[in-house]
Order: sequence, then structure tokens, then C-alpha cells
Amino acid sequence: MTTNFKWRSNPNIVARLVDGNDIQTWKSQQVVLKPNEACAFIIDGRIGDIITEKVVSSIGGGLGRHIAEMIGATATDRRMLFAMTGPLDLWIPFAANLSDGSEATGHMNLRIQLRKEDIPKLLNIFANHAPLLDRAGLIGFLGHEVTTRCIVPAMAKCSSVEELRSSEFQEHLEMHAEVEMRQTLSTLGFTFLRAFISTSKTDQEKLARLKADLDSATQTEGANADALMQRIAIREAATLRRIECEVNVERAKKRGEVTIQAESELLELRKQESVWEAELKRDQGQSNLRMNESSHKTTQAMELFEQVQARKRDRIQQSQEHQDQRMDKQNDVQTKMMEMAAQQGALTPEVMQEFLRQQTAQKAIDGNNSDTPATPPVAAVCRKCQATLMPEWKACPHCGSTS
Amino acid sequence: MILSGYEGYTKGKRRNADLAIRDEIKRCGTRARNHIMNVHDNGFREKKISIAKTAKACCNTIDLLIEDIDKSPTGMTHAFFSGQRSVSVSVLKKLIKHDHDVIEMMTKAVNISNSVEHAFASDKTDDEVKSLIRKCEQMITSSRGYYSARSTVLEGLRQKKKV
Repeated sequence: MTTNFKWRSNPNIVARLVDGNDIQTWKSQQVVLKPNEACAFIIDGRIGDIITEKVVSSIGGGLGRHIAEMIGATATDRRMLFAMTGPLDLWIPFAANLSDGSEATGHMNLRIQLRKEDIPKLLNIFANHAPLLDRAGLIGFLGHEVTTRCIVPAMAKCSSVEELRSSEFQEHLEMHAEVEMRQTLSTLGFTFLRAFISTSKTDQEKLARLKADLDSATQTEGANADALMQRIAIREAATLRRIECEVNVERAKKRGEVTIQAESELLELRKQESVWEAELKRDQGQSNLRMNESSHKTTQAMELFEQVQARKRDRIQQSQEHQDQRMDKQNDVQTKMMEMAAQQGALTPEVMQEFLRQQTAQKAIDGNNSDTPATPPVAAVCRKCQATLMPEWKACPHCGSTS
Repeated sequence: MILSGYEGYTKGKRRNADLAIRDEIKRCGTRARNHIMNVHDNGFREKKISIAKTAKACCNTIDLLIEDIDKSPTGMTHAFFSGQRSVSVSVLKKLIKHDHDVIEMMTKAVNISNSVEHAFASDKTDDEVKSLIRKCEQMITSSRGYYSARSTVLEGLRQKKKV
């Protein structure tokens, strides 16, 4: 009849030192050690076996052990040091200042591990500590030293928030923590695995966040306003376009009606035009006929007029030649008379004077005969067109009538 | 190489033999880690950050190896329920040789880590030291991979032959 002894009732428990003599039960106790648990036996002040992955029976209690103790057949002092051997995360809070004076708060994660061979070193802790070690107790052990040796110096070298968030800072802090904490952790039996820092938002970051939020809100508002304006503009354009389309439609209707009306009118006009053209052609034909007739008569009149003029020119020329011949004859007679007078010696100044006077009178008579204005002919009237005709005209120049 | 408590997987003590092998590999890993950590600490103190970073990467690999070994399966007690077939001599020989090879690789890794610390203390250049650290890390990684093949060997013990 055995019962299981549970050394760990809370996940935060890291190690526990159990005095075997304190287990006073009627039933014998056994413990099951899982792969991440180990137990070191300290018998009569000496470190015994360190076991894991095993069921350890009769660790305390039971009637047989009680009787053996009574008769002194067992060890005087039996202690069992249980511990977790898996990796252990410790979150150590801190508050430190950066080199620029701003404060940074947060937690430093320290991942450590207790290896099986190092479990007896936990006695260094239990020498000055309660027999139960949990995470809070371990943080109490290590926290101050980690803050003083690792976090504060690392933060003091950190110049800005950006550097605080950089991976180089994390690497440097991890190496720094490993170097500085090795001795302490080794003394307590822990192996350092990893370390990193997780800082809360600093005042500058809060301010930057606030600015970013405000900027974002402003940009959101601006984007909304822009979208609204675009929407209004689109609606306006759509409305204008609709109105324009309606106007165009109305205009097209009206234009169509006007076009149809104009086409009908145009058709009438074309009809009228064709009528007029026919009439015009007819009139032009008649006019042409009349014109042809008229021009023919005019040509005939002009020809007759030319013939009259030619005959007149011939008569004037004949008259002029006749007069010239007479003048020449008179001059010859006068010359002969002058010669005869000279031969007779009768050419005196009085004769010459008389001769010149007669000759002048003769020329005056000839001149008067040639310059005598013709008697104005009596005008006749054409019987057909009532135009005035000269007496010598044989036909009317206007209508070509010969009567 | 002498392993205390190792009896070559004799019947009834096979679990202890397995534990002894694993403890030896872990011990070798811890030894190598201690050497490399010394180089890491000194490198950081002397502002040789690149060496410290390389050493830290090697330490992480060793931690992974130790964790693998720590949490590796060990088999079950009652073969009847587990379906484990009886172990043949050939399988045991194969297992023993495999364990020997892993431990030899780990021993080499320890030797290299020792050389790393020695090189760092002497007038070797940073590149030479880093090269040695990376060589050690490579050896540890190889050991880790080789050790994982051990589970394949053990897997053969768990399967009954199908008739």
C-alpha cells in the first residue's frame, strides 16, 4: 500500500528540499520523477544519488520505516532535493534610465536551466532560504544583481529609444548578462541559456505614438474630405452631364423638327425654283430670239449706215478734189495773167494790188462755199418703233424697219 | 575510453547502459561548452564581439544537443505490452558501434573546443579562433544528427516481426 508523494503543487515551484523524517504517514510514500524532474538524495549530510525518470518507492512514511527508525536501522537524516530540470523563464522587472535621461521600464527575460548534476548546488540557496524555491523567490535572489550588473550598465550605454529596440542591443545585453551572471548562476547550479529585454513604451514613444495617432486621424479626416469632395464633384459632373444631355436631346428634337419643316419648305422652294427656272428658260429663249432678231436688224442698219457714210465720204472727197482742181486752175490762170501782164509791162502796183484783192475775194468765196454749213435735214420718224430717223437713213437702226 | 557502469547492454542492465551512454555524451557536451564559454566571456571582455557571438552560437548548439539527449526516449520495461521484439546480437553490436561513434565524435568536439581556448590564449588571429569554434560547432551538430539516428536503431527493437 503506497501513495504518491507530490513535491510540486504549483507550476511556479522550481525546487523543494524535503526532509524524509517529516513524512509521517501510515502508508509508504513513493514519488514518480518525470523526465524534467530530478531528485538528489542527501543522506546523513552526504550527497547521494541523483535520479530522474524513475519511480522512487519508500521515500518516507509507512509502518516498516517507522519500525526501522525506532530500532535505528535507517539513516538518521534523510533529505530529498527535488528540482525541475527543464528551461526556466524568469521575468525580472526593471526601471532604468537611458543615456539621454529618459526612463525605460519593462522586464528582462532570463532563461536558465538546472542540469541534473548541478541540483546539489541548490543547497546554497536553501542554506539561506525556505525549503521551497519558486520563480518569485528566484527572481528575488537574482533580480537585484541582474538589474545592477546587466540592465543599468547596458541602458546607460543606450543613447536612444531606437537603439534600445535594435537587435544589436539585445545581443550585447545577452552577452553582457551571460558574462556577468555566470559566476552567480553557476554557484546556484543554474546554466544560463538566453536573455532578452522587453521594454514598455517610453514617454518619447508614447509621444511619438500620440503624434502618429493624431497624424493618422488628420490624414483620415483629410482622406474622408477628399473622398467627399470627389463624390460631390462626380455628382455635379453627372448632373451637369445629364442636363447637357437633356438639352442636347431637346436641341436635337427641335433641330429635327426645324429640319423637317425646312426640308418641306425647301421642297416647295425647289418646286417653285424649278417652275421659275422653266419660265426663265422660256423667257430667255424668247429674249434670245428677240435679241437675235434685233441684232440682225442692227447689223443691217449699221451696214446701211456705213454704206451711207462711205458714199458721203466719197462725195465730200469728190467735192474737195473738184474744188482743188478749180483752185489749181484759177491759180494757173492768175499766174498766166500775171506773166502776161509782166510781159506787157502792165504789172503795176495797182494791178498787183487789184490782183491780190480779187484773189483774196475769190478764196473767201471758195472758203465760204466749202465751210457752208449743211442745211439741217428734216428728221423723220420710224413708223414701227417711233424712233427719230435721219433723212438719208434707209432703215431704222433701232428696229431695223425699212419702211 | 572507459565508461563506469557500462556493461554493453547485457540483459537486465540495458537501461543503465543506455543511461551511461547518454550521460557520457552530455558530459562531453558540457565539457566542450565550458571551454567555449570561457572563450565567449574572454572575447566579450576584450571587445572581440565577433568571437563572442560565434562562441555563443556554438554554445546554443551544445545546449540543443544536451536537451535532445536529456529528452530522448529510453524504451519501456514490459516488452510484451510495448510490442518490442527480442534483441538480437547483431542489433546490439550495431547499437554499441553507433554509441561508440557518437562518443568519439563528441570527444573530438571536446578536443577542438580545448584547441579553441588554447588558440584564443595564444597569438592566433581572430579568424583562426572563429574557424576553430565553427569547426567545433560543426562537430557538435554532426554528433546531434548522428545521435538522432540512434533512435532509428532503437526503433528496430520496438517492432515485432510481422508473420
